[in-house]
Amino acid sequence: MAMEPLNRSEFLKLMALGGAGLAILGGPERALAALARADDDLDRAALDGDVAAAHAAAGTILAVARGTSAGTNTKKAIAAIGGMRKFVSSGDVVVIKPNIGHARAPKYAVDTNPSVVGTLVALARQAGAAKVVVMDNPVGSDPANCYGASGIADAVKSAGGSMHVMGSGGYKKYAIPGHLLDTHPLYAAIVNADVLINVPVAKQHGSTGLTLAGKNLMGCTSDRQRMHTLGLSQSIAEINAKLRPELTVIDATRILVRNGPSGGSLDDVKVKDTVIACKDWVAADTYATRLFGKKPGAIPYIKAAANMKLGTMDLSSLTIRVV
Amino acid sequence: MSDETQLDEPRQVDAALPDGGAPAARRREAGGGARREAGGWKAARWVRRAIQIAFLVFFVYLLFAALQRRAAFPLADVFFRFDPLAAFSTMLAARQWIAHLGLAVVTVVSALVLGRVWCGWVCPLGTLLGWFRFRVARRLTPRVPPRLRGVKYVLLGVIAVMAALGSMTLLILDPIALLTRTATTSLIPGFDYVVGAVEAAFVYWGPTSGAVTWIEDHFRGTVLPVYQPHYAQGVAIFLVFLAVVLLNVFAEQFWCRYLCPLGALLGLVAKVQVLRPLVGDGCNGCNGCVRACRVGAIEPAAARAGADAGGRGEAAAARARVVTSECTMCLDCLVVCPEREAMSFGPALKPGPWAEYDPGRRQFLAAAAIGVGTVALLGTSVARAIKSPGLIRPPGAQDEGAFLSRCLRCSECMKVCPTSGLQPSLGQAGLEALWTPVLASRLGYCDYSCTACGHVCPSGAIPKLGLEDKRTRVLGVAVIDRNRCLPWASNTPCIVCQEMCPISDKAIVLSGRHLITRPDGTQDYLARPNVVPARCIGCGICEYKCPLEGTSAIVVLPSNPSLAVGGAPDGSAYPEG
Repeated sequence: MAMEPLNRSEFLKLMALGGAGLAILGGPERALAALARADDDLDRAALDGDVAAAHAAAGTILAVARGTSAGTNTKKAIAAIGGMRKFVSSGDVVVIKPNIGHARAPKYAVDTNPSVVGTLVALARQAGAAKVVVMDNPVGSDPANCYGASGIADAVKSAGGSMHVMGSGGYKKYAIPGHLLDTHPLYAAIVNADVLINVPVAKQHGSTGLTLAGKNLMGCTSDRQRMHTLGLSQSIAEINAKLRPELTVIDATRILVRNGPSGGSLDDVKVKDTVIACKDWVAADTYATRLFGKKPGAIPYIKAAANMKLGTMDLSSLTIRVV
Repeated sequence: MSDETQLDEPRQVDAALPDGGAPAARRREAGGGARREAGGWKAARWVRRAIQIAFLVFFVYLLFAALQRRAAFPLADVFFRFDPLAAFSTMLAARQWIAHLGLAVVTVVSALVLGRVWCGWVCPLGTLLGWFRFRVARRLTPRVPPRLRGVKYVLLGVIAVMAALGSMTLLILDPIALLTRTATTSLIPGFDYVVGAVEAAFVYWGPTSGAVTWIEDHFRGTVLPVYQPHYAQGVAIFLVFLAVVLLNVFAEQFWCRYLCPLGALLGLVAKVQVLRPLVGDGCNGCNGCVRACRVGAIEPAAARAGADAGGRGEAAAARARVVTSECTMCLDCLVVCPEREAMSFGPALKPGPWAEYDPGRRQFLAAAAIGVGTVALLGTSVARAIKSPGLIRPPGAQDEGAFLSRCLRCSECMKVCPTSGLQPSLGQAGLEALWTPVLASRLGYCDYSCTACGHVCPSGAIPKLGLEDKRTRVLGVAVIDRNRCLPWASNTPCIVCQEMCPISDKAIVLSGRHLITRPDGTQDYLARPNVVPARCIGCGICEYKCPLEGTSAIVVLPSNPSLAVGGAPDGSAYPEG
């Protein structure tokens, strides 16, 4: 009989069942109950924060979750920075912005991992969000195709969120902080959201070196051309200054190290099994550059954002929790 | 309620009727005891109207269903598959049996049995034209010479002669192609634009903003496009359609009567149609059917009485006559006929009457001359000698001669192209190839994850390709204009083309060892893009996304084999720095 590889929780359940059969003394109910409790605990912590987060000193926590399940990593990372309820309140309209730039299957590490996105949708719903809407402005194909091929549409729908296609009528010009853009069109539904969660996939990129959280919000504008011609790095920093995401979760489950951002070859993909979460996206991007063996200073848009005081590149000034 | 009150207003007739002054009185006179039961035919008429509307709705549904769909929509081209004009000419021009178009036989058989039932019951253009009726036509129709009906046969003949010589140019006159092309390039984009404008007007007003959001949530990306499509020659193509509609000013269904080459083809078959409306001995010569006929297919009684000069216009000699090749089987004549014994619907083995306007030797010679002459003129065009830089064909359609002899000019591929990159050509391949698809990369690129055009092409002019196969088909090759490219021409960092290139070993590589001095004296290394021709498939996303205004600094040109083998650098020539 062919067997599917087990993920960790399935493996634990199987071990627990086997153990329960042997541990007649303890009784199977207790073994199963303990297992269920572990799952419950993680779910609860992902909403309300884990114990360490509750006792952490004042200041920003940057969580780095490692493990073979992208969904569990996401829960652990959110738990470690204080839980989803810290960011999402009852009745909020939540917009989640993954990177769904191209029509590629998850294994190519071109679009954000669907389990990471789906888990965030579920957590936001459980935290009481009135509506969780997921959207991107794909560049390599049309949205319906990218949403489907990336697996994100299915993950979002089964988690209780909805996919939204960003029509060209939905953009509005906004005043942008900083000296370069002055005004720039952004997608109104994203600007007006109560909570914006930025969920990029970490990958190599020709113009900015890497594309991480800051670059991912370029998907909120209809005029990329102007950003390129005026100066990309400063433009990226400035639209981030306007959009100010409440939470940033970087998916580094699989990362694309060459031929980014469109990818297409598994030879260019590295498995990192990592999810990073932080409310400070500059810090999150700074940390993520390490996965590629680069210095954050080598990514000009991160430097520009730090100069605008949108966050810190000094990782020693925050609490880093590896969970 | 009497039958008369339910009749459509009297229709215009080809020739002036001698009794035109008092049709109502005549009809009243004809009524009374001998009145026949038209109830059954009235029901048939409602069925016919329902079926016409159903086919039109289905046609419009297919337009939208195929739009932006990645998965090939197996029905998308179904109207073309039943279109004998398309099947006949493309098989003739390509000198090949095309099984996919074999269903056209069904339509031919339908014409053998029921005449031009396709025209009156199925054709979406015919249905639409039936709804544009002008009052003035009643006055103008008698002045239109009946011989004009011969034009459609001449057109059919020209199409046949040209197809025999390998040219499909005049298929632009196929009615289904005409309607599909108009919908694709002007009606649907116009509809999209108006929806956007109305949404923009109402989205920020409280009471209506919810409705706009609802529409956006439910239809954007499926029925409504994500980006407004733009089509070259949309206006010209619309004006052709408008002209076809406005010709109804002269006569009802003007296109169907005088011009439609598909109607002509079916009309020739319908000469021997088996089941048809028949005028029997009971005809009282009232000519009600003549007035009711939307296509003027019934010759009036009095006119024939004059022709049969021997008698004194007796009823038997003076009955109306249905010309089967013109009749579109709407059955209105059967509804209006007041006499019990006069009109019936049934089998007849004798061929239908040959009218004075029916094709003869003169029409055949004219068609042959026009066809040969047109082919000769088109074949000697400059476009045959020099390949235009804009001539980029859809994936798999790179053999220009084979493509042109198969392309139906139907614009199904343009309709389904998710980026609207496939555009109707004008001069790219000469007048011969008017309104065939070309990829205009600055308007839309060939999506690396899409195979839709080949899957909806009715004739196989664009082959049905699997995704991996399609990804290897070379449409052209990208060329960078270093005089305009930002990092080459003005030391501005930009690598959008490299970023967008979908090939996994990028066909655009960055050379990073260019030391530049900025105006403030500082020095820096700048990455500049270079094309690796051997890897480029010419999908055009680089040209589409190039951030320069107007003309792109990287353009896709028809592929030139020498670029790939003539010592052009491969990727290793550009180490990333």
